[in-house]
Parts: sequence; C-alpha cells; structure tokens
Amino acid sequence: MYGYYDLPFSVEKEGISISVENVEEGWVYKRTLGTEEVEKVIFGDEKHIIINPVEPLNTPKEITPNLLIEFEKTLLLAGGEKKQIFLTFPIEIGIFIADKGNKSLQLLDVLTLVRQKFTLYGEVSNGVVCKHWKSQVYSNPPSPNPLQEGIIELNLRNTSSEWASISKAVFSAYGMKLYYNGDVFMKARMDIINRTTAETGFELQHISGELRNQSVKNRKSRKEAFGVYSLQKLGFVPLKFYMGWGF
Amino acid sequence: MIADFNFLDFVLYDTTMDGEIYNVTIGALLKFILILSFSTLFARILTLYLRRSLKDKVSKDVGETFLKFLYYGSLIVVFISILPLIGLDPSGLLLAGGITGIILGFASQNIVGNLVSGFFLMVERPIKIGDQVQINDISGYVTDIRIISTLIRTYDGLLVRIPNQQVFTTNITNIVGHPVRRFEWTIGIRYNDDANAAIWIIKDLIDKEPFALLSPSPSVFVNDLGESSVKIVIRIWAPVSEWFGMKTRLLWTIKQTLEENGIEIAFPQRIIQLQKVPEKQQIEEKPTKEKEIESVLNYGERVLT
Repeated sequence: MYGYYDLPFSVEKEGISISVENVEEGWVYKRTLGTEEVEKVIFGDEKHIIINPVEPLNTPKEITPNLLIEFEKTLLLAGGEKKQIFLTFPIEIGIFIADKGNKSLQLLDVLTLVRQKFTLYGEVSNGVVCKHWKSQVYSNPPSPNPLQEGIIELNLRNTSSEWASISKAVFSAYGMKLYYNGDVFMKARMDIINRTTAETGFELQHISGELRNQSVKNRKSRKEAFGVYSLQKLGFVPLKFYMGWGF
Repeated sequence: MIADFNFLDFVLYDTTMDGEIYNVTIGALLKFILILSFSTLFARILTLYLRRSLKDKVSKDVGETFLKFLYYGSLIVVFISILPLIGLDPSGLLLAGGITGIILGFASQNIVGNLVSGFFLMVERPIKIGDQVQINDISGYVTDIRIISTLIRTYDGLLVRIPNQQVFTTNITNIVGHPVRRFEWTIGIRYNDDANAAIWIIKDLIDKEPFALLSPSPSVFVNDLGESSVKIVIRIWAPVSEWFGMKTRLLWTIKQTLEENGIEIAFPQRIIQLQKVPEKQQIEEKPTKEKEIESVLNYGERVLT
C-alpha cells in the first residue's frame, strides 16, 4: 500500500479503501476503514498522493508527542555494557498530497489498524502523557505486518557502573525518522545515565540488523518516510527524550 | 520692526539639572512627545510582528508574557532616557521615586496592588493563558493575563474581568494544572445480578477506551451494599484535555452494555411482605381490641373527672 500514486487512483488492503476520483470541479479523496469514512475535495492539478508510515501519535487525536514502549520482559543490563535489541512499534498510515518533486507537502489523512491506548509516564503532578505500546524484546528483527507494526532497532548503552533494570522506553516523535520498503524501520538509542534516568533519541542511519547481510543495492532501496511532526515547523523542540522517572 | 522669533524655541519653564539651569522649550516638549509616540508605535509593531512569528514556535502563555515584558520594558527604558528633554533628571527619580511611590501608593492603592499582583502572576505563573480555572466561583478559560486584570471566558461564553489583586490573593483551582485527572461514577446494580460479571464488562469497556489511562490504573469495585442496589464504583484517570468528553461518552456505553448482558441498573425499591392472618385468630383477637378501646375511653373519663 505504501508508495506514490498519480491521480486518479484507488487502492484497497486489509479493510482500508483509499481512492481519489476526478469530479467536475476537482478531485475527491475518499477513505473508508470499518465504519469510519473520510471524504475531502481537492482543488489543484499535477499532484500526486504519497502513502507512507508516519509517527504513531496522530490518532485518535494528537494529544502527546511521546511514545512509551513497554517491554514484555524486563531486561537487566550490567554497568558499562551495550546491547542491541529489536522492538515493535505501532504504525499509523499517513496520506499526503504533494506537487511533483514532493514540494509543498500537505497531510490529507491519518489512520491506524492497531489498538490505541495512552498512559502516564512519571508522577500525576508533573509526568507526561504518552501513547502506550507493549512489545516483545527480540534479539533479531521480527517480521510484523508493515501496515500494523514497525521495527525499532534499539541500542542500549549503560553508561553507569550499576546494573540497569529496563522495562520501558519513551521516545519523542519530533526526532523520529521512519524508513520503509516491505517493512517499517526506525533506529533508536537509549543511554542509561544512572539508576533512574536515561536519554532516548533516534539515528538517521537505518541500515542494520538483517540488512547487514543484504546487498548495497537493497540497502539504498529503503525510502525515508515523510513525517507529520517533521511537517510542523516548530522551533526549540527537543528531539531527544529525557527519562527522569525511571525505565 | 519684526523680531526674529522661532515658535519652537519658546521657553515653557526652567528647571535645574546638575546645578545648571535648563530651559524646556516647546520644541523639546514636542520632541519628547514624538519620540514617545514613535517608540510606542514601534513597540506595538514589533510585538505584533513577534506575536505572528512566535505563534507556532512558542506556547501562547510564554509568548504573551515575553511580549508584555518586551513592550512595557522598552517603553519604560525610552521614557526614562528622554526625561532630560522635559527637564527631569532620571537620577533624581531614585529619590523622587521613593516619595512618588509613597504618594502613589496612598492615592492609588488598588491600581498599584493590581499592578504588583499582575507582575507576580506573570512571574509565578499559577495560571497560564488557555488554562481552565476556577477563581472565586468563576470557572472558565483564561483568555488573557493583563497588567491590571485577568480575563476569563466562562464555559457559557461570558467574559469576566477579575482584578489581579483578587486573583493573586484568592484560592485558584487550576483544572488543567496537572497532565492527568481522575473522575468517578457510582453505578447501582440489582442484588440478583452478578457483580463480578458487571465489573468484568466495565473493565473491558475501559480497556477499549483509548483515553482511559493504563497508568495510573483504573479501578472498578463493589463499594457498598445499598438499600436497593449493589454499588459499584468506577474510577478512571484521563488526560486533562480528554476527561470530560470521555466522561460524558463512556457512562451511557457502560449502561447499554450492562443491559445487553442482562445486568440492569437498579431502581430504588422496598420489599413489603403481606401476611394473611387466619379467620379464627381474627375473631379471638376482636374482644381484646374492644377492651383496649374501652380502657382508652376509661382513661379519658378519668382524666376529665
């Protein structure tokens, strides 16, 4: 389903139906998912539609830029150690309209096929609301349904001299960089500073894990997804997340 | 003979600055007014421009506070620096300020009080623009925090202006002061319904609701065995921006789902047990009743005599 589409077009997959039809005055965008229907009228020619995975923080309503991934099993990492793990994250599908050459990108719609739930990270008085996701911890990249789940390669680094017990990680959407081609991929890191604090962030390099064995040609084929948060031209926004209430 | 007279050089009054006599002319006064007017205009244009530029980059409350400090701060600096034009020595303000302050304090206690409170409201920030607050039984959204007063838009759309002194010295309830809040319902089900099943259904509905937070976790439990129903308490935490919408939506869903599963919300009820008395016993009891009436009558007679 992910990719670039010239108008008019129509695509259907896993209960999602997306189409852009030509009408007298312009174009009509229609999307159905279950009982949910979205219809928008588009004025403008020489446009194309881009469907790609976006940061999973836009539906049902954008109330937080933070994603909390809870691990199925708690990890224990010795002081000074590094470990690479793989997690899954929820996918939201973004539909954009753009000029040829991907200029003046405009978000048309966002949808998701996965369960949505929120949680609080930290204290009631000063914590942060996060989108919640529970993931198994994998030592090799899993193969989830790319319309529902993506893969995070998470590089854990315990910079302290004590053992770290890790059961969750919180990420800020402002730093997220998603890549897709058959699967959906992000590369992140988590630096444990001490017993209760850690810092998470994303990295631009997306070639790792199973892709190491692939040819250079295949490595280059993975596309960088357009994000909803990268469209918002906000200044002074931290791209990293400082986990001050434990992990 | 016509004297060469320049209107702008006309001396209005004399003052002494640094031991020297200084003539304040019409030209100097006009210059003072012009600089002050242009500065005000420039400060307004600058704040307008910055307000537009910062709109999407900085939150409204931070931006507005910054702009107010910038606007009034720049005007104060300009005003003090051009005071010599009208023959006032800014260094003398230190002394004069103290005396003027006392006079002003007595003359305009409320205004100065509101001004100082406004300054502390902006610095301490117990409320921000856009917050939902309750101040002195007035509930609504904070639309602006000005130097003298705070503006509240009530939930029914009325504009209420509260003097800052009142805001600062009274109890303020900031409804959105914390990121999450809890709300609760009490539901009464019939005694012959399965309370465990009801709890399971309610927990399942809460689990399906995205904005019902996982942590702090919701709680559903039997709280009381009431007169006519088993009382189940439901407590849910939600993001402050979403709790009201969820509260109004979820209760009816819970009621409908419980009914679909054969569990009904109990009406107030009282069980009355009617017992039929055998006829023979009724006949035997009759004389006793007559006796009682007689004794009552006798009692009346005794009292009268």
